[in-house]
Amino acid sequence: MNKVGRDEAGLKTLLMGNEAIARGAVEAGIKVGVGYPGTPSSEVGEVLGELAPELGFYFEWSLNEKVAIDVASGAALTGARTLVMMKNAGLNVAMDTFATLPYTGTRGGLVVVVADDPGAHYSSTEQDTRVLSQYAEMPCLEPKDQQQAKDMTAAAFVLSEKLEMPIFLRSVTRLSHASGDVILGGIGEAPLEVGWNKHFKHPFRWAVYGPPGGAAGRHGWLKEQYPAFLAESENSPFNKLAINPDSRVAVVSSGMGTSYVNDALTALKQQGACSVLEIGFVYPPPVEKMKQILQAADSILVVEEGNPMLENALKELASDLGLKKTIVGRSTKAVIPAFNELNPDLVMKAVSGLLGVTIPTVKLDPASLQRAEELTVPRSSALCAGCPHLGSYAALAQVMKKLKDDLVIVNGDIGCYEQGGYGLAAQVITPTSDATRKYPVSSPYEILDTTYVMGSGIGQAMGQRRALAGDSSKKVAAVAGDSTFFHACLPAVAGASLYNTDITFLVLDNSWTCMTGHQPSPRSSVDGMGAKIDTLDIAAVCKAMSVKCLKTANAYNLEEATAAVREAIDFPGFAVVILSGECMLQVLRRDGSKEPKTHVVTETCIGCKACVRVGCPATLFDPKTKKAGIDPLLCVDCGLCAQVCPVSAIVTE
Amino acid sequence: MELNVMICGVGGQGSVRASHILAEAAINAGERARVGETFGAAMRGGKVSSHVRIGDVYGPLIRERSADIVVAQEPLEGLRIGQKFASPQGVVVLNPAPVYPVDVSTGNAEYPPIEEIEKTLRGLAGKVAVIEGTRIAGEIGNPRSMNIVMLGAAYGTGLITFDRQILLDVIAAAFKPKFKEMNEQAFLAGEKACRDVLR
Repeated sequence: MNKVGRDEAGLKTLLMGNEAIARGAVEAGIKVGVGYPGTPSSEVGEVLGELAPELGFYFEWSLNEKVAIDVASGAALTGARTLVMMKNAGLNVAMDTFATLPYTGTRGGLVVVVADDPGAHYSSTEQDTRVLSQYAEMPCLEPKDQQQAKDMTAAAFVLSEKLEMPIFLRSVTRLSHASGDVILGGIGEAPLEVGWNKHFKHPFRWAVYGPPGGAAGRHGWLKEQYPAFLAESENSPFNKLAINPDSRVAVVSSGMGTSYVNDALTALKQQGACSVLEIGFVYPPPVEKMKQILQAADSILVVEEGNPMLENALKELASDLGLKKTIVGRSTKAVIPAFNELNPDLVMKAVSGLLGVTIPTVKLDPASLQRAEELTVPRSSALCAGCPHLGSYAALAQVMKKLKDDLVIVNGDIGCYEQGGYGLAAQVITPTSDATRKYPVSSPYEILDTTYVMGSGIGQAMGQRRALAGDSSKKVAAVAGDSTFFHACLPAVAGASLYNTDITFLVLDNSWTCMTGHQPSPRSSVDGMGAKIDTLDIAAVCKAMSVKCLKTANAYNLEEATAAVREAIDFPGFAVVILSGECMLQVLRRDGSKEPKTHVVTETCIGCKACVRVGCPATLFDPKTKKAGIDPLLCVDCGLCAQVCPVSAIVTE
Repeated sequence: MELNVMICGVGGQGSVRASHILAEAAINAGERARVGETFGAAMRGGKVSSHVRIGDVYGPLIRERSADIVVAQEPLEGLRIGQKFASPQGVVVLNPAPVYPVDVSTGNAEYPPIEEIEKTLRGLAGKVAVIEGTRIAGEIGNPRSMNIVMLGAAYGTGLITFDRQILLDVIAAAFKPKFKEMNEQAFLAGEKACRDVLR
């Protein structure tokens, strides 16, 4: 069994933050787990899915986060302990239900786990979802390390049942995707019996619009619960106050900020040198403890990941109390910038500034440092060797090239194929203010014009088409993956079909949710717990939505794929092309890798770089000899480069 | 006690696995441990660095110029990480086998000469040990065990003070039983190579 599920209380082991959260849920006796994958949150669901069959609970990868939170709340209302997980952006998708749930509360423990991504390593925004817990008036916990992630998750279920309220657990990349030593607790059982009572403690408890008072009345009830939330925060073991009566400065921190503060105080040998308030129960924050620290210190540094939420709460409290204090943090640029993630150097500098101690300097050789900077070349993000998206993009690029002066706008969104909008870091781009300027596409990494969020591409294409209505020579396209198709594109496909919007929609079907770590998509024939299931048919869905021009092609057959894309683009109306090819990494994992046979016949190669423009990391080009080459460590014999070679210099034999 | 080890390379080389092995072994040796990973969007071939922190540590990230050991599984990544994290008191263990970035293979950039990378790192770190991890692993039987050779090399710096067998046990448990002997050989070969170089 995965070590996360071991019934070995007291075992000390290394757990990733996401594994620790899953373990906390298991220790609390979870009955239903649900989520949608999204980095950095995905492993919470992966681990729950792996453990579910053995430990006797249910786990589901829902089709999107809105469905996930609905499934989760449905389960929790029956009394089942339920965890729902998603990434920061996922909460935006789930927001309708998320913001409404506190109006009824819950019966069974419901924990909403959201992993934020300060620094936006894998996300469209740095959004701080703690603010959204406050917006929804839902209590929020924020762990500082992996041990606390496990302990808080387990405690959140108990708290949720005590308050009859969903509990928000906010993680961040540096917690979810970092690992630390964790001492396991025992695997417990949930106390509540699962059942149904439509008038549980209140008439029509689960009907937001119902009597008494409708939604506004429910909101009034939620407001009445606030003192109980606050009392839990005041007494929470996750909020720790240590006053140093000899110091007039203090540090207030939350979540990962607390760990960085502890590292800084240790490195500076300043443990205990000032008053500290560590806040793990961040909404509502502990007002009494905050008052005490305001009275104990004149200068306060607030270290938190994201918005200045606690900093502003502290400032407001100081103002209410008529106290003039210096409170700095995220809103004070010179101390901690308002954007990008915290790091130990930044926090060390802020803490040393507060305490008036100096950081020991490291002597550097400036010449070597300068030489290192000169020598370092970028390593741009690229699609994997043999990725089916390389074929789809090569087909699209060929069609775009043939259309010459016709403008083709290609809208993307999120998934491995989003790399089609990154460009190459080493490439020099000269932006212009000329709105009609065309740029040649020389690699798949330049093919996308827009990349926003899941499903945004097709809708944006629809808007562009209407705005450019007078010019039918201008072609508009969008791409989305198979998982995204089911997650966020269905209403847009229905709309484009209904209004016959003249755009081409390419579905890049690689049968998995790859970018987040190969979770199953509706195309994978496997569910979130590893059981075999039937797949959903994208073409059948399009047909049912009355799509008039529907093409399917093999992404690894460039002639077929190019013809399909061309016909779709030429079609005067809404057209869908499904380009299929299973993720090469999944194929290799299942079938094993073989010595590649593909190579370049150097004498035949004319150095035209057509193969290089496919953008495969296994295709090399020697600028001295002007000849192409194949990296045998990376090549998987997919045959795409050979198909574009005009002189058949690439052979597989 | 505090030991900071940075393991860097490109996606698919096993730097994340190596960092988890080191941290798990440290925990088994009775220490506290943290691992922080930094990687981009790419599944394979993207730059990856893993921060391993052992001892009296709280957060998962190493401060700049504070890595006692930088394990560079790939030279360009060793240079990238070394200029930020290598310490004048620390050691860089460098595998000189390049994995070319797409920027280089498309002709947009030139890969720096390996000897220049090595020379530059010597000006930034206390010591540099060039360990031919890919070659040694290939000779033992599988170039993919390079990450274990390099882990052995990190142990060969002498800065990891807990017992070697604790690490070997974690390595054995992390892979299929048929790889046990090969991985042990890889580890010991890396350790010896590093001891010989630093002697």
